[in-house]
Amino acid sequence: MYIVIAGAGRLGLILGKKLKEDKHQVCLIDKSETLCNKLAGELQDILVIKGDATYPEILREAKIEKADVCVSATSNDEDNTIVCYLAKELFGVKRTVARVNDPKHIPLYKYMEVDNPVDSTSIIARVVEEEASFTDVMSLLSIKKGRLSIVRVDIPQTSPVANKALKDISLPHNSVLVSILRGPDIIIPYGSTVILPGDEVIAAALIDVEKELIKALIGKI
Amino acid sequence: MRYIIIIGCGKTGKNLALELSREENVVVVDKSLKSLDSLGDDFNGKKIWADALDINTFEKAEAKGADAVYLLTGNDNINLVVGKVVKRKYGVKKVILQVNDAMKKKIFKEEGLTIVNRTYLIAEVLKKCILS
Repeated sequence: MYIVIAGAGRLGLILGKKLKEDKHQVCLIDKSETLCNKLAGELQDILVIKGDATYPEILREAKIEKADVCVSATSNDEDNTIVCYLAKELFGVKRTVARVNDPKHIPLYKYMEVDNPVDSTSIIARVVEEEASFTDVMSLLSIKKGRLSIVRVDIPQTSPVANKALKDISLPHNSVLVSILRGPDIIIPYGSTVILPGDEVIAAALIDVEKELIKALIGKI
Repeated sequence: MRYIIIIGCGKTGKNLALELSREENVVVVDKSLKSLDSLGDDFNGKKIWADALDINTFEKAEAKGADAVYLLTGNDNINLVVGKVVKRKYGVKKVILQVNDAMKKKIFKEEGLTIVNRTYLIAEVLKKCILS
């Protein structure tokens, strides 16, 4: 794929390098001349363009009409919306992704028809909240902008599900136990599988029932 | 009396607000308290200290009932994005925005959006000086 990234700050740069590792073609655009000169020396196979990506001529220079995806990762929400808007309306790019800096600005991205506004602040806030509030629960992965989450839960002695078979346990809707880690064993559970204290349970749940699921497994939050 | 919202209280916004508030119902929005204070005691309207990129600001300013919205922040991209969103979300009849880049003026042309370009205006005035 060919991916154009506007904004070569920390996020844009890491993303660019990762995509390059995955054998995609990448073009980075940034306003800062110093940064661009530095990057052009460091990055071999990535095209670096110095300029303001909210100007169509700069996007044209990046051959954005050939891009499969346009990512706007600058620290200005107004610039990100404009870049995605131009990419789509003027150059017919199919998929636009933008970093949302202030969650209050999300409606702008929606009205300007950005395909994927990624609200980094809220995502980080959620991760930090999780880290701060539970010790025996660990979020392993979140998919679809955090809507589906996969968690690891240590089953304590006092758990309401300890020593019960899976078929006798009621879990919230939209959640499922994926596997049980018991010492060296990895168990794919069936209805008759019994959960023991000390087990590590891997479970998947939609984000709105995640807390309920954790409560069902450990009894408190 | 018409209901007019002015976003951005720089030199242009301030002058327009003072002028219009004599006869119209004017609300001025700016993210800087200092800029809003610069309107002074002569200003006969409402002031809102808020971020124009936050859609709640327009709820607060009751954009739905506005006859016109002016976007006069010094930032072309803010004016363009907010102008389009205000038009789409609230259906305000007249949305007037200042855009300094002539190229962007062309691209963002849309029915009901009046895009004003300072350089173009001055050039027109200068041209007239020798014609008359």
